[in-house]
Formats: sequence, structure tokens, C-alpha cells
Amino acid sequence: MALTTTQRPARHSVRVPQGSGRGVRREGRAGYVFLSPWLLGFGAFTLLPMLGSLVLSFTDYDILSDFSELHFIGLDNYRRMFTADPAFWHSVTVTVLFGIISVPLKLAAAFAVALLLNRGMRGVGFFRGLFYLPSLLGGSVALGFVWYSMFNRDGSFNQLLGLFGVHGPGWVNDPDWALGTLILLAVWQFGAPMVIFLAGLKQVPVELYEAASVDGAGAWRKFWSVTMPMMSPVIFFNLVLETIHGFQGFTGAFVISGGTGGPVDSTLMYTLYLYVKAFTDYEMGYASALAWVFLAAIGLLTVVLFSTGRFWVHYSDGGDE
Amino acid sequence: MSGTPRRRLLAVAAAAALLVPLAACGDDAGSSPSADSTEPVELSFFWWGGDARAKLTEDALKLYTAKHPNVTFKTTWQANQGYFDKLATLTAGNAAPDIFQIDDNYLTEYASRNVTLDLSSYQKSGKLDTSKFPESLWKYGEVDGKLAGVAFGENTQGLVFNKTKLQAANQPLPTSGMSWEQFITWAQAAGAATKTAGTQDPSADYKAFWVWLRQQGKDLYKGKELGFTAQDVTAWFDLWKGARDKGATPPPDVIREGNATDITKQLVVTGKALTSWVWVNQLPELQKNTKDELGVVSYPGDPKAQWARASMYFSVYRGSSKKDVAVDVINFLANDPEAGKVLGTDRGLPSNLDVRTTVESAVTDKAMKTSIDVENQLGKTFGPSPQVPLKGHSTLRSELIKAAESVQTGKASSAQAAEAFITAVKTAISK
Amino acid sequence: MGRMTGLAKRSLRLVVILALLAIILYPLAWLLGSSFKSQEEVLSNASVWPEHWTPGNYPQGWTHFKSAAVTFGRFFLNSTLVALLVVVGNAASCLLAAYAFARLRFRGRRMFFAIMIGTLLLPGHVLIVPQFILFKQLGLVGGEFPYLPLVVPHFLATEAFFVFLMVQFMRSIPRELDEAAKIDGCSPFGVFRNVILPLSRPALVTTAIFSFIWTWNDFFRQLVYVSETTKNTVPVALRAFIDSSGQVTVGPMFAMSVLSLVPVFLFFLAFQRMLVEGINTSGLKG
Repeated sequence: MALTTTQRPARHSVRVPQGSGRGVRREGRAGYVFLSPWLLGFGAFTLLPMLGSLVLSFTDYDILSDFSELHFIGLDNYRRMFTADPAFWHSVTVTVLFGIISVPLKLAAAFAVALLLNRGMRGVGFFRGLFYLPSLLGGSVALGFVWYSMFNRDGSFNQLLGLFGVHGPGWVNDPDWALGTLILLAVWQFGAPMVIFLAGLKQVPVELYEAASVDGAGAWRKFWSVTMPMMSPVIFFNLVLETIHGFQGFTGAFVISGGTGGPVDSTLMYTLYLYVKAFTDYEMGYASALAWVFLAAIGLLTVVLFSTGRFWVHYSDGGDE
Repeated sequence: MSGTPRRRLLAVAAAAALLVPLAACGDDAGSSPSADSTEPVELSFFWWGGDARAKLTEDALKLYTAKHPNVTFKTTWQANQGYFDKLATLTAGNAAPDIFQIDDNYLTEYASRNVTLDLSSYQKSGKLDTSKFPESLWKYGEVDGKLAGVAFGENTQGLVFNKTKLQAANQPLPTSGMSWEQFITWAQAAGAATKTAGTQDPSADYKAFWVWLRQQGKDLYKGKELGFTAQDVTAWFDLWKGARDKGATPPPDVIREGNATDITKQLVVTGKALTSWVWVNQLPELQKNTKDELGVVSYPGDPKAQWARASMYFSVYRGSSKKDVAVDVINFLANDPEAGKVLGTDRGLPSNLDVRTTVESAVTDKAMKTSIDVENQLGKTFGPSPQVPLKGHSTLRSELIKAAESVQTGKASSAQAAEAFITAVKTAISK
Repeated sequence: MGRMTGLAKRSLRLVVILALLAIILYPLAWLLGSSFKSQEEVLSNASVWPEHWTPGNYPQGWTHFKSAAVTFGRFFLNSTLVALLVVVGNAASCLLAAYAFARLRFRGRRMFFAIMIGTLLLPGHVLIVPQFILFKQLGLVGGEFPYLPLVVPHFLATEAFFVFLMVQFMRSIPRELDEAAKIDGCSPFGVFRNVILPLSRPALVTTAIFSFIWTWNDFFRQLVYVSETTKNTVPVALRAFIDSSGQVTVGPMFAMSVLSLVPVFLFFLAFQRMLVEGINTSGLKG
């Protein structure tokens, strides 16, 4: 990434030599002080439940039985998943398909709309609110009704297609199309990354654009040499979080399929399968194993994303050593 | 069961990681206040339903408190979605309510894991009086010889049809006792005449499949095994494939809409089919959601295959410290005429036949009257109850939906789907 | 000429915005329309327009909970209380943690950061039971204020999403500012107060918006921990309209769903204004 200094004045950061032992120690102490709420919260509320679920993944825990009836079954849950459970592999396929299509589409929609709404214009705040409205609905009970009525056989979407002489199928109820409506739902609720992009755009120092104008850069050039590098930490954040969120994608599938993953398992997202195992089939031990395999897989993906980040994410703080 | 010392040690380690005191499940130990003591007792009580049910239940509990001023209630209610998730979570934390509502989907899951109190001894001593219940009804609360729940309300399968549309097209109404073939032929003709699909395809519906199986001399479960074979499932799927080919049903995606158990999605309410396969006591709620007049008959085939199903039960938590009082409260709700009048038919026809007679005479709602009449008429021919579904029943239900939908959408043949269904269900019930 | 292009550009942008809105808001228009349909119509009429306008759904939904003699207003208050507490907790605690991760050097920083990201990855459903047991052992379940399990963890930066978000924003703040402050004699605490805190407004606003909205919509945890009808929150109360096997009250549920969008929408509008007012220049010239 060869960028000229005019476009990246922040890169000039003066590094104060960090040799002074007292300063480092003071900063270290301050680090723990600032981190203490997180350390306490993690230790008290996150670590134990996580370890609990890890331990349970080696058992036949079924939620309802007393803990004294717990049996340790070693790696059986993990073995079963990879060797004897076709539904597991099916849910992996569904999830990967959903993730790789919905995440880029959602991010693209969010970024495009954020750019559209970044400029000052009358009522821009209200417009932002309107674009956010679908996300405000969350996984509300009304959403299930809404999506059903849009995308069933007599739904609004087919009425629209009808105007062009197209006979649409019963989208949400058709095993070939249901996942598509799920992806559409995910993209439709692009509000969260949009807001993060907007906040990021607000943080790009206007001086950089002024400097670029002085250098005679046009809008396109400014976008690529100022906006994109300055936005890269925020783009990176959205990419990582939406990837995690996309692969977890539970709510939409739950709402659309009534918690079953139907029709014919076409919307059986991984986390939905996990939920069914845990709370419908009472196989919490197995569900815990599913969760830890998920953590490992998405963890790996996150590590890959982080390692690509060093090639394209530009930090004004001079980078992390 | 504590197993080897090493296993026990591991269980302790797991419990420690979860901060759980082991063996907290208060066994049938005896410091529990008796039903006629006067020390203050607060019972927790959890059920699912709508606000109307909540109002009735609260009122009935007030009657109990009026008679026993030392007993008060901490009630919790919610809609059915998420109910069992919460109940399971509470149970895991040794915090299940003293009394909770449950249905035959989950009764065995809870009973076989010793979450529910065995009520047999209370029944024997008369502290829990089921003498006025139809025998087959209270027996439908027995799991492995233990009385795990008190049947609270009776219902049975009902085929609900759209009277208005049928009459407008001069079509005969369906009747109880039609054979399945007659019914399909009727649906085909009625569908053609009304321009609305004749019937929802019930091949994904476990209760229709169950009735049909009983008419073939089979059953859903037999002991700890399935009571049917892959051939039965194939024949069932083929029966409905025939109906679909004749155009007696809507297309697969519309069938799928109606495969949800929700009242809001039943095709007879959304106007996409002339009949839906439901429980008789759902008729009044269905009627509220459509302008057309609805009627109800038994499922096709011999109505003897239908039975007095407990629409739900009340169970007592085995870890409760107030078991005696809890049982007394259930006894009161089931048998007290005043409480019966308050509760009405909201949870199904009252289990106590004396209470039922009183309640029925007071009903004014037309749809409710119809559902009571049909239930009573079918009640005369009810066969014996089947056993309560095994553990894994909810898997059976969802697997049947999946298998039937894969046949409907042409993703699998009847035989392939039946085979996959049997395999999945066998695993689920043997776990 | 230049003016003309400017005007043309602006109009074009407005047209694009309105066209997009027309598409993505259609489902919500359907929701609004359906909240005025009668019970006999709401399930069978798929169009946006009600045949028989039934504004009665609104008062009916508002006073639906007769068993506990509370109006829907109570649930709005409960939800608002919980959501505001979560907003405060998240904003304060996550900012502290983020500062440590983004700006301070201390042993174990990278490891802790990796662990923090790791907590985002585990599907939440397997944590429900262990967490419930934990909160119960800590004595936080039930009682007069049943919201403690929903609120307390947020005061201890357990929402890694926001910590990570703030880290990313802080890393866009030029480090010269810190260094300048240090040269002026600021300790790490002074840098936090004088440099990071004022420049973190976009991140804080974003955190506030999401904390509020996500808490407002969170169903499952609120369902598990809140048991009394009078203590119910909005999402739990909305589901109570639809007991899908028994009593279903769709129209009033739609009506209350529409109403429940209003507070979050207003919250969003109020807070997003802070994303409009530029912080850039004031910050950089400081």
C-alpha cells in the first residue's frame, strides 16, 4: 500500500521511546486498573459458565437429570458429531452457505447506505432512523408474521412478481428457497453495521480531505486514498463481527422456521440445530460439544481475518507491535 | 446412580465448575408442611397460556387461599413458545416451581428423569381424588407405573371444516366415521366446487398418523419400542400422495404453512383449505379468527381409534419442599365445583365428570358448545388410551414433519422418507 | 454549471434514498396496516390495507393483561429501566477496558484480548443453563428486582462486542495526541480523561444505541429471569399475546409491536444526532 504522506498525516506518529522503566511500569499498572472491570466480569460471569459448558461437552448431560447422574463419556460427543450425525454436516453446509452469501451482502448494503447518508442534508437523521427501522424489529414475534406474509404463496412479493407475469413459489415454505428468504432477512436488517460505518465516517478527520483537495484529488481518489484507509479499522470490525454474527445466525432461522429448521432442514442453521439438541432433545452435553466445535471453527476463521488485517487495516495509532 | 468412584469424582468436578451443590434434589424427605397445617406457605405455580387462562387460574387459586388463608401463590405464566426452555432451565438450577403445567409431549421426559413427584401414594390415600375422572384419562398420566401428572382437561382429535364455504357451494359436510378414501374423494369434490383446496394434507401430523395407525391395529408406541414399521409409514405417505395427485390438497408450500401447530397458521383459518386437523377444544379459538362458520367432526376412519387425551397435566416438582400442599391444591382445582366453574373448559373438558356436567350447562359460546357436544359424542365410542408417548416424542413429531415434507416436495420417495424417519426416531427414543 | 451538477447530484441522492426506503419499509408498512385489522381479517387478508379499520387493537392491546391488572405501559417502563441501566453499564465499563487494550502496554494484554474475542464465539444457548445456575448461587435470581442478572454483568464489561468496537475506534485516534498530553505531564489516567474520553463520542453513542436496542429486543434471557407478570419486559409481554396452541390475539399484538418500535426509534433519533455533529476538528486541534 503505497500511500503518500499527504494522505496519511497520522502515520507520522512520534514514538516516544518506551525505555523508561518507570513509565512502562506505571502504564502496566494503569492497564490492569482499567482492565479490572473486564477481568472481574469475565472471571465472575463468563469464565465459569464457559468452563462449565466445556466440561459438560464430555458428558451426557440432559438438563433435567440431577448432576449426580451425570456420566463422563470422554470424546463420544465429538466422535458422534463427525462420524455418525448427518444432520451435523447438513447444518454446517447450510450455515456456510448462509454466511458466505449474507455477510458480504449485508456489509455492502450497510456501507453503501452509510455513504449515502453521511453527507449533511435536510432530515438525514430521520432517514437514518428509517433505514434502521427493520433492525429495530429484531427477532420480535411480529417479525415471523411479517416475513411469512411477504414471502408465502399469496404474499406481497409474489403479487409484485405477478405484475411482471412471474409466478413465484411459496418462498419461505419451499425447501429450495427458504434459505434465500433467510439471507434476505439478514441483509434487510443491516442497521447495526450501517450505524458503525456512519460513526466511523464521522471520525475521518476533515483535514485529510482538505489536504487531498489541495493535491487535486477527485472524489473517487479521495474515497480510495482517504476514506478507505481511515475507515479500515471500522470495516475490519464490522467484517469480524458480522462474520461471527452471520455464522451464528440463530434468530432469523428460528423465527422463519418456527424453531425447527424446516422445510426439510433447509434452514437448519448450526446454532439452531444446537438449540434443538439442547432444549428439545435434552442433549445438552452434545449441544455443548457442538458449541465448542463452533468456537474452534469460527475462532480459526477469526484468526485468519486478523492475520489478513495487518495487510489492509490502517491504524492511526501507529499500529500494534 | 453414582457409578464408579472415579465417575463420581468427575461428577463432583463438573458440579464444582457449575457451582452446583450435589444431591440437592430434595428427595421425598419429610419436613414438608402438611396440607392442613396453618403455617404460612407460598407455592410457586407455572403454566403456559394466554391472559384469559391466567385470569381464570388466578381466580381459582384465590378460592383456595380463601379456604386456606396460610397458603399463597407465586404464579408465573407465559405463552407456550419458550415455556419448556424456561422450565428446563429452572429444573437444572433446582429451582423448578412447586406445581407446573406439562403436556404429553414432555411428561415422559420429565417423569423418567425423576423431576416429577410420583402421585400414586396420594391417589391411594385419597388425598388426590381421581374417582370421578374417566379411568382412561387419569391413566394417561402414568409413566412406568408412576402417576406423573394429573390430567387437567380432556380433548381429542377433531377435523375442523369451513361450513360457510361448503354450504355456499352446495357441498355435503364431512361426517364422523367416513373412511379415509371416502374423505379424500369428498375433499377432491368439495375442493373443485369451492375453488379452495379440499383438505390440509395431514401426512406430517403425528396425531392424524397416530389415529390412522390405531385403526390399522397398530400404535405409535408399544412398550419401549415403536408400534409401527417403515411399511406403515410408507403406506401413510402413499395415501396422501394419492390425495395430492388428485388435487384434494393444496400445493406443498401451502401444506407446509399448515404443518405448524399454531392456530394462526391453520389453513381453515387462513382460508387456504376447507379442513384442518386439530384438537376439538381448539375450535372456539379458531372460530374467533375467521368470519366463516366452522364445524368439527372426528378424524376419518373408525372413531373408536380416538381416545380421551389429557390436553395437559399438572405435576408436582419432586424437589419441592411443600409437596403435600401442592398436591392438595391440584386436588382442589380438579375436584372443587366452584373452582371448576371458574376454570371452565379453558384447559379442555374438566376431568372430573361431575364438574364437567355443571360446567357444560353453563356454557353459552356457540363454538365452545359445538366442541363440547362433539367431544361428548365421540366420548361414547372412545377406545382405551394408548400409553403416554416415550422420551424423544418431540423428535418423532419433528422428524415426521421433515419426512412428510420431503415426500410432498419430491425430495424423497415415500419409502426413502419412511426409512429415514424410522432410523432417526429409533435413535431418539433409545437414547 | 457546477451549481447545477451539485443540485442534480443532491436530487439524485434523494431519489435513490426514497426508492430504497420504499422497498425496505414495505414490510413495516404491512405491520402497521395489519395492526388496524380485525381479528377475523388479520390472518386471512394479506394486503397492507385493512378492510375494516379497527383502531380498537391499540386500546385492547394496551389493557390486554387483565390477569395482573397492569397496562402495557408498565412493560414499557420495565424495559426502559433495564435498557437504560445496560446502556450506562456498557458505556462506562467497556470504555475502561477498551482504553486498556487500545493504548496501554501491560503483560498479558494480547492474551486477554484474544480471550475477550473468544467469548464472542461460543453460541449462547449452551451458556444459559450454567449462567442460570451461577446467578442462582450468587443469589441474583428472583426477588423484588429480578433484573440483576440482566444488568449486573454489563457493569463489568462482559459484552465483548462493545469493548472491541471501542478498541477499533480508539485506534483511529492519532497517538500524537496521547504523546502530547504525556509531555504536558498527563498520567495514563489523565490521557484517558483529557484525550480518549472526549474523542470517543462516536463509539460511546454507537454503544448506547445498540445497548438500548438490543436490550429492548432481547427475549430469551428476560424470559428466563423475569417471572412475575408485573415485572415483565416488552418482548416477553409481546409473546404473551400469542399462545399458539390456545388464545391468540394477533391484532393487539401487532398494535403493541408497532408501539414498541416508537421508544427505540426515538432513542435512535436522539442519539444519532451526536453522530452528525462533527467531533473531528475540535478533537484534532486540541
